[in-house]
Amino acid sequence: MSEKPESYEVAVERLEEIIDRLDSGQAGLRETLELCHEGRELVTYCAAELDAVGEGLKELKLDELATRLDSETT
Amino acid sequence: MTEARAATGPDRVELPGPFPVGRYARRLQEWMRERARVTLIGEVTGVSRSRVQAYFELRDGEGAIPCTIWLNDLERAGLPDGALRDGAEVVIAGGPDYYPGGGTASPSFSFRATDVRLAGEGDLLARLEALRKQLRAEGLFELQKQLARPLLPKVLGVVTAETGAARRDLLAGLRRRGWGGTVVWAFAPVQDRHAAPAIAAALQGLAASPEVEAIVVTRGGGSLADLWAFCDETLCRTVAMLRVPVVSAIGHERDSTLIDDVAAVACSTPTHAAEAAVPLDCIAARQGLGRCVASLRRVGESAIGARARHLAALARGPARALQRERRVLNQKIREIRAASERGVAERSGFQHRIAALVLGRARLRAAERAVEAERANARRGAGLDRVAAGALRERREALRRAAVALRAHDPERTLERGYALAETASGEPVTSAAAAVAAAQVRLRFADGGVEAEIGGEVEREA
Repeated sequence: MSEKPESYEVAVERLEEIIDRLDSGQAGLRETLELCHEGRELVTYCAAELDAVGEGLKELKLDELATRLDSETT
Repeated sequence: MTEARAATGPDRVELPGPFPVGRYARRLQEWMRERARVTLIGEVTGVSRSRVQAYFELRDGEGAIPCTIWLNDLERAGLPDGALRDGAEVVIAGGPDYYPGGGTASPSFSFRATDVRLAGEGDLLARLEALRKQLRAEGLFELQKQLARPLLPKVLGVVTAETGAARRDLLAGLRRRGWGGTVVWAFAPVQDRHAAPAIAAALQGLAASPEVEAIVVTRGGGSLADLWAFCDETLCRTVAMLRVPVVSAIGHERDSTLIDDVAAVACSTPTHAAEAAVPLDCIAARQGLGRCVASLRRVGESAIGARARHLAALARGPARALQRERRVLNQKIREIRAASERGVAERSGFQHRIAALVLGRARLRAAERAVEAERANARRGAGLDRVAAGALRERREALRRAAVALRAHDPERTLERGYALAETASGEPVTSAAAAVAAAQVRLRFADGGVEAEIGGEVEREA
């Protein structure tokens, strides 16, 4: 897996598939190693997504958000 | 004088009249008052009072009618104090009326209410059901539910009252899930006739921000009349058309307001709304990820480990087979050696026995031969003695003869007879004249001693 997953849920779904496949014991050595590699990348992505909402809840008013967006566009 | 001409309509059809307007106005008033009396339900707005009557508008999403009620009728209706106020949902009874005006007074139309009561749950539910049926028929309930809701939104929009428990409960619910994203507040009144348009505007404002991934609309509990703003048709149509999924938590019961029907998810409390807006329990997810990592590591390692062990077992296979073969071979060698040793021992024993037998026989024969030889020797002994004595005598005689002959040849004997022997300094005999000349110096040995002699001249050949 070289591309970033499109969302957390897609990543988690794929991760569950990978673990099911690995748990089944049906995967060959090469596939196992590739799945483990992909799984680790997905875990890294998911951990980063969780970290993004793990720094403490922030509060903004809609006006402040609008002002911020305006300043970003200009 | 200009001839009077009857007024005509646009299509020039001749119309009755002209009538005096005041008379027409009074006729209109009579006509209206003859209309059937009905009850109307709607929201009260713009309440004002004169000395004798109260004025207000009754409206809903589709339209409005100006209403009047005599204060004595209002008093007789028995409403609680202040109940006839802006935002109140009421049911009024009465019919259309027309005030013709006159003098300086302006004419006006109104619905003359003769009775009024606050709208009950039944009235509101009946209106709600009609609206619900209509919106469902238009498919507006399904639009929000078809939107994908993010499992882990980073930015949440929230529409609620700035003060109130709902705001606090929602935040507490979000924190309980371990969610630390951004909440964008769009505060709005949540109960009166201004509420629905303000909420709709807040929702549209939030949905216009690309960062906002889901929106929560929430307020605390109340009667259906209190929550009526959330049944507003325009608001509900707005929610249905938003691109962002909306989670509603209005009051303490699900599906009591129309916004619950059109929203993507309807919840009973702000806490539940927090869970619906952030479906992922971040705390559990972090633990789950930890387990995933452990599981991946375990599977990866065991996959390699198991195969490595299998490989190692396979790799040991040939060595084991060799060892097995070697053991078999060694066993055979030992057996062969043992068998061989047994055979050797047997043969050796046999040979020893044969040898002993042969030796015994040989000894016997030797002994016999020795006895025989002894006997023969004994027999030969006498003959031998005789032969030996004869031979001795012969040898002595030969010796004597030899000594005589030797003496005859002895130079010393020759010297004794007067000859001299010429020798070189080294004792070699000089046997010719030439040798004597060559030596120059010789020693002449006589029987009684030697003398040195010098050779002079040359060899004289005898004729």
